Amino acid sequence: MARHQGPVLIDTNAILECFRVGSWRALLNGYSVETVEECVTETQTGFQRRRAELQIDAAQLVASLKAVHPVEDAQRAVVAVRAPDIALDVGERSLWAHALTRSDVWVLCGPDKASMRFGVRLGLKDRLIALEALLDDAGHRPKEALKLAYTTKWLEKVLGELFISEGLGRS
Amino acid sequence: MTTNFIGARIKALREERRLSQDDLARLFGFKDRQTVSAIETGERRVTAEELVLAVEKLGASLEYFTDPFMLVGEGRFSWRQTDVGPQKLSAYERSAGRWIAAFRAIAPQVGRSAPLLRRSLGITRHQRFEEAMEAGERFVAEFRLGDVPAMRLVEVMERELGILVLMVDAFQGISGAACRLPELDVVVINRHEVEGRRHFDLAHELFHILTWDAMPPEHSEEARETGGNRVEQLANNFASAVLMPKPVLDRYGDWSAIGVGDLASRLNVVANELQVTASALKWRLVAMDRLKPAIARSVPDAALRNNGRDAVPAAVPALFSKPFMEVIGLAVDEGRVSARRAGALLDLTVDDLADLFTTHGVSSPVEL
Repeated sequence: MARHQGPVLIDTNAILECFRVGSWRALLNGYSVETVEECVTETQTGFQRRRAELQIDAAQLVASLKAVHPVEDAQRAVVAVRAPDIALDVGERSLWAHALTRSDVWVLCGPDKASMRFGVRLGLKDRLIALEALLDDAGHRPKEALKLAYTTKWLEKVLGELFISEGLGRS
Repeated sequence: MTTNFIGARIKALREERRLSQDDLARLFGFKDRQTVSAIETGERRVTAEELVLAVEKLGASLEYFTDPFMLVGEGRFSWRQTDVGPQKLSAYERSAGRWIAAFRAIAPQVGRSAPLLRRSLGITRHQRFEEAMEAGERFVAEFRLGDVPAMRLVEVMERELGILVLMVDAFQGISGAACRLPELDVVVINRHEVEGRRHFDLAHELFHILTWDAMPPEHSEEARETGGNRVEQLANNFASAVLMPKPVLDRYGDWSAIGVGDLASRLNVVANELQVTASALKWRLVAMDRLKPAIARSVPDAALRNNGRDAVPAAVPALFSKPFMEVIGLAVDEGRVSARRAGALLDLTVDDLADLFTTHGVSSPVEL
């Protein structure tokens, strides 16, 4: 596939996975990678919600990103009223809140099904992209295999299921 | 998950602030109170701008209005505790309230709604303790709890009565609680209590759930197997009979024929078999007139501590419960709750969350 030219909005899970497999630099070399402040916080030890935590230097992470966006209540409120029944974590919610303010051609890389359901419900299915696809398109193959939820095949399967579950597949 | 909880929370906070719908209409800049009414009842969805106005004008956080995993002005608890201060109890109640609110919100979405109808016991506070015991005996028979009722009690409460039972990590001193919501009954048990006390708490809270409308329990009561106010004593008598029904105890022969010197060890052996405390067994035998009160009092408490075992076996039930984890698992798998959010809710890492599913025999949906 042709490499995406616009901004890539990346969530905590995808950042952690990218660091885990040693592909962060390759991702940055291929794209304009952006995130929100809450996701940066969640990459830090004590906030990762992972048993084995990665050491990620916050200052270096921020410096390496194209942009780290603050998110206001007014933006988060849009997410809350659009899908009050989908329970996202702080970083996932903030990333969507930021994404909905933008008018450029962004894509969002976040592997959680609930985050994907939000995107499908809002008609943004085509804006979702797998970490594997991003790395592939940038000509990079991680030395260590990505977990299932970061693969292109998995994303396609889940998006198909969510599309139907949201009642969007009916004529 | 109902999508109208935002309107309901605006209403709850308006009432807490003692504001009328007209007052709120003025604050929001609506031309009349009908708009406020429509938002509160869910006829009209609140907009993002109005939500931000609510945050500013009513002085609450955005999460207060938008977090579906919170109990706001709903849910009544009755705690069994020993020397736990109100502030500590209140803080723990907020945590427990999040688990309960989450289950209530998610379960219907994944096809696990609580039963439409509730069971209740036809007992009032004016009835005799013997009638509470008789009800306990009948409960054992009707729900076929068998020779060791404690073993199947949780299963019957979950499957037959639709009660959510949660085994939790709680402060020392908190034994458990019953919680009633309009659409859900919950019993919370401190999983680190000794087995016999856990079972007694379960049966005690079951009584409160089954009699809540007729005799709502106090918000907080001292955890003990005897004494307390009348409702607590009725609950204790019911619990004793459920865990130690007459037909089961009669199988162990004539208790009055046992010499005082052998009584403590016999109580300990039988209590271990029935998974109750030896102390509860002793007082149950007194209530059944199988043991004279004076003889019961002659058995020193120390001889019955930990049912006569030097060290209490550390068999701790798994955190929360299988039905609870099934609902969380389905919600994560269907993309209704994110895995990180589920981990935050249960205060677990994503990896520990995956392990907890496995512990309960639930297929883990966590693929991150």
